[in-house]
Amino acid sequence: MGRWLVTRFVQALVTAAAAATLLFFLMRIAPGDPLVRLDDRPLTAAQTAALRARYGLDQPALRQFATFLSGAARGDLGTSIAHGRPVASLIAERLPATLILGGTVLLLNFTLGLWLGVRQALRNGRATDRVLGILSLTSYSVPSFWLALLLVWLVAVRWRLLPAAGMHDPLLPVGAGPGAGLLDLLAHLVLPALTLSAVSIAATMRYQRVAMIEALALPCVLTARAKGIAERRIVWGHAWRNALFPVITLFGLWLPVLVTGSVFVEAVFAWPGLGLLAADAVGSRDYPLLMGATLLVSAVIVAGGFAADVAYALVDPRVRHR
Amino acid sequence: MRVIGLRPRHLVGVVALLASACDRSAAPESTGAAVVLVGQQATRPIPTMMEDAAHRTTANTDVADVLFLRLAAVGPENTTSGDAGFQPQLARSWTRRDSVTLAFELDERARWHDGTPVTARDVVFTFDRARDTTLSPTTSQLLRRIAAVEADGDHRIVVRFTEPYSEQLYDATFHVQPLPRHLLGAMTPAQLDSSAFMANPVGNGAFRWVRSVPDQLVELAAVPDFFLGTPGLSRVVFRTVADADARINLMLSGEADAVAAPVPPIANRDRLAAVPGLRFIATPSTTVGYLLFNPRMRGDTSRPHPILADVRVRRAIRLALDRRAMAQSAYGPAAKVPYGPVSRGLWISALLPPPPDRDTAAARALLAEAGWRDANGDGVLDRAGKPLRLTLSVPAPSAVRKQLALQAQEQLRAVGVRLDLALLDGPVWAQQRAAGDFEIDFSSANQDPTPAGLTQSWSCRGGSNVAHYCNRTVDSLMDRAIVALDGGADLWKEVARLVEDDAPAVFLYSPVAEYAVSTRYDDVVIRPTGTWSELWRWKVPAEKVVARDTVARDSATAR
Repeated sequence: MGRWLVTRFVQALVTAAAAATLLFFLMRIAPGDPLVRLDDRPLTAAQTAALRARYGLDQPALRQFATFLSGAARGDLGTSIAHGRPVASLIAERLPATLILGGTVLLLNFTLGLWLGVRQALRNGRATDRVLGILSLTSYSVPSFWLALLLVWLVAVRWRLLPAAGMHDPLLPVGAGPGAGLLDLLAHLVLPALTLSAVSIAATMRYQRVAMIEALALPCVLTARAKGIAERRIVWGHAWRNALFPVITLFGLWLPVLVTGSVFVEAVFAWPGLGLLAADAVGSRDYPLLMGATLLVSAVIVAGGFAADVAYALVDPRVRHR
Repeated sequence: MRVIGLRPRHLVGVVALLASACDRSAAPESTGAAVVLVGQQATRPIPTMMEDAAHRTTANTDVADVLFLRLAAVGPENTTSGDAGFQPQLARSWTRRDSVTLAFELDERARWHDGTPVTARDVVFTFDRARDTTLSPTTSQLLRRIAAVEADGDHRIVVRFTEPYSEQLYDATFHVQPLPRHLLGAMTPAQLDSSAFMANPVGNGAFRWVRSVPDQLVELAAVPDFFLGTPGLSRVVFRTVADADARINLMLSGEADAVAAPVPPIANRDRLAAVPGLRFIATPSTTVGYLLFNPRMRGDTSRPHPILADVRVRRAIRLALDRRAMAQSAYGPAAKVPYGPVSRGLWISALLPPPPDRDTAAARALLAEAGWRDANGDGVLDRAGKPLRLTLSVPAPSAVRKQLALQAQEQLRAVGVRLDLALLDGPVWAQQRAAGDFEIDFSSANQDPTPAGLTQSWSCRGGSNVAHYCNRTVDSLMDRAIVALDGGADLWKEVARLVEDDAPAVFLYSPVAEYAVSTRYDDVVIRPTGTWSELWRWKVPAEKVVARDTVARDSATAR
């Protein structure tokens, strides 16, 4: 098991490093100069040269890459060209908002989604299954940008029940206390979390339903029933454990949502997350910021795959003894 | 006091208000809050220290204009020439000693937000820094006609210029907002970035810095004893919302009080106009949009362009476009077509005639005169076997320019000109534009408030003159206009006429700057040269107070 873990970990590291290396050089090949600004006062040749030197853009690509690597090893991701601030600070400022939104989506996905999928499987072919199936298919088919706009228009603009955008009420008094602050955060979180969860929950439900139906038909479940074991224990102790494999795969795939965010949802709901920051970095060719964001995202994607592998091994002894 | 507009989501604030019930007898005179929506967060709102392009953002400038005063402000007429029309700020008066010397008397009541008096030493310190070509390469260039700035006692500043010219007062007051010498004087530029001042700027305006939440908001609180008058608002929040649609939604849902540039798209105007409690305020804008012709070959600027080097073709393209309809389709009925490169925000724009209307017959005649005919009957004119085919570079991130480019394409087709559109990613478009690597470029410029700024793009030596437009007569007229003691109105008119005649570009639109503002404010003033600088004059009458105004007041008091 230990050797297997080390092998998987090294593979994960190599994958993350390859992704970052590829992106570094692809960005240098792509047209567009990060120092040429839109609608700004033109820079003199001397100013441009000074800026190139400041950001190391006057160096050969290989040397820039080496500088990036040595900085990253020390936790220094450089200075954002567009923001004029350390990349690590910019990411650190955005990360909490992204984690809150992504964490909520993951939590809803792998609690409510799993539970509903199991309920469907247990009521296979009955009205509950059919109704939940139609609902999940509908929410899976709805484009999230459309859902986001609809929710804002209905819930925030027309009914004025929840805030239209942002993460906090800007006029919330400082002395309002943690309770009011949390309530305010939750009120702002509902619509973006609902938008992002609608699609992901539907997918989880459908995967879980199919896996659970198959698991409920396994001989071990029949044996358990024959032994007179309580139905709840059969469902959650025997069948569900066997129905977890596709869900683990799904979890590995969804884990990166913790840090990637969603550019569109962040834009519509003015959620101050990493997704929009990274998208803006692409648009402005902000190499250091883009590399910092990519490093984080690729690390989490690889971590997601690694976590899924470990979870397989924990759930199924055949994997770790293979 | 009637509390109106209470909605479920306000309950949080109201509950908090009740929980922290303050002593109402201690309430300051300022009442009310303003939530102003902005597209970007102000991360370094320190005036005179925005040399790095990353810091020279509208967001930083807007907040800096609220925190820091100038010696004097350009008046509502936006006239930058002469000494009339300016309004006192830190300087209560100024006198002209001779044609190259101005003396300013500082208002002795002016204070920094830490209570220290604003003195002539602060002004001299800031000018010294701003005129330092190493520390301030951009600002020092703008101040190149200032020879010396000296303190004469604690409250008098003497500014000497290198030559007599009409915009001396503008140069001495617009580019520099004094900074506190007692806080910054001993600091090196390297120390500044990590200083307490950078995290909590100490200004001298009607509002003081309270806090900044990255990518969410910047909060300012009123200075109750502000020397020019008690601010009408107790708190101002600049709320960062990058997405334009999200800003509109926040206005529609009543969560914000003011937003700049809700139009384009013009559909937003109808959406906002349908909401009771919102109104539109327009000011002259210094934006001008134009199709810039490159009369030289792409990639080889030594050779003339085979089509665009001919002024008749450029004029024909201008005549073939219905510029008024295009401008109004993007910005609404208030948008106008500029005469020459003169935006409506420049004082000389009022002196200029309206530009000629669309005339396709005249356009065809000009093209025919230049030798362009449809010999093969394919609808596209040709000459010596080559079609009249041009490429327009359009920045893809600009929805307005994409929309207008399609209109231009269609209208030029009617006179036999084939216009191909190259939609380019922002940095690619900017890079190609800066290198002169285009045939026609869809440009948009935010001009300086002074006509002197026209030299940047429309003089032979202009740093922004990417299409190499050069007319020595225009240069000479601009040079004379800049130093003309009467402002040089006639000279500027002749400059505009010559540029219009040379047709280095088709000047398409000069919109007004529009703002959607809640009707609960009285005395709303928005300045073209400092959008939110007059926020302190805004007031919320007692009968229009909403829940968040009282929450804001209590919170501001509690700090």
